[in-house]
Amino acid sequence: MSASTHSPVLKHHFEDLNQQHASERLGMWMFLATEVLFFGGLFGAYACYRLWYAAEFEFASSFMNVKFASINTVFLVTSSLTMTLAIRCAKLGDKAGIYRNLLLTFALGSAFMVLKGFEYAEDFHEGILPGASSFGVTDLKHNIKTDAEHAGLDTGKVRLFLCFYYIMTGIHGVHIIIGLGCILWLVQQNYANALPPDNYSTVEVVSLYWHLVDAIWLFLMPMLYLAGAHIKHVGH
Amino acid sequence: MSSDPNQTPATPHDNQDVVAHVDSPPTLLIVYVAILALFAATVLISSSGMFGKYTLFVQLGIGTIQASLVGCYFMHLRHGDRVVILTALASIFWMGILFVLFMSDYMTRHRVIG
Repeated sequence: MSASTHSPVLKHHFEDLNQQHASERLGMWMFLATEVLFFGGLFGAYACYRLWYAAEFEFASSFMNVKFASINTVFLVTSSLTMTLAIRCAKLGDKAGIYRNLLLTFALGSAFMVLKGFEYAEDFHEGILPGASSFGVTDLKHNIKTDAEHAGLDTGKVRLFLCFYYIMTGIHGVHIIIGLGCILWLVQQNYANALPPDNYSTVEVVSLYWHLVDAIWLFLMPMLYLAGAHIKHVGH
Repeated sequence: MSSDPNQTPATPHDNQDVVAHVDSPPTLLIVYVAILALFAATVLISSSGMFGKYTLFVQLGIGTIQASLVGCYFMHLRHGDRVVILTALASIFWMGILFVLFMSDYMTRHRVIG
């Protein structure tokens, strides 16, 4: 046939655009299922220790900066909203809207990482570290390990919580960075006019990943930061 | 397109088959506010300590509602293909198995070790 009448976006191994979009969505959901496997293991391990060593975990969690985490939560949930609006703009063929929402999402995700950086810096300077060393910082405001000893708690279990804290938030942060890279790729695709309404599913696929990372944070935040929220500390 | 003579000719515009449900911004905004409100509730409940030793379960319950809102509205599971909904439910079900087996082992160890 000389004249091709199907959409230029339709790949030849698909019957029609519906099937293409459905396949792309399913493919991403399959990947998200593996992400659930990944984080599920971490959450399961944390849950066991949280129930086993409740006192130490609540004590350690009370040193976490709930303000930073709350602002980060607002950033991330808002970025999920703007990402969904980006899909909407793609469906409507609103190229400027795609740019706007993708860049807003990128900005909010970056703000999350920047604040996380400040949070880690603060933790470092306050000696809230899992290892025995405080990396040469001698003028610590308080030392969580000696505070734990004074409270009659097992230092090792407090350090275990801190391991979970850094590993879980760190790996989540890596996932955010990967998502930010994907969003930049979408911006480039939009610039190359590769996101017409027929191809909205490309935006949707990245947005599914982004929403999962957001959903994971919605569980991560209460588990790590709010476990000891009822314990009031002086000077934090 | 295929040149198989037995195949019916392609319709002029394939993309007429695409029925893409477009989100309404007010709905998305309501869901967004709901998620943040639930988050505020979690923080307040946790800080007050009103649930005592059940705080963790309340937090997880609120987290589940938030994740469901994100899944249904932001991830479009409400209008999703059945296979996609099945995939999402299957991953949650798998996590349920994981937690049940973890907990039944680790939380009953004190009954075994003397």
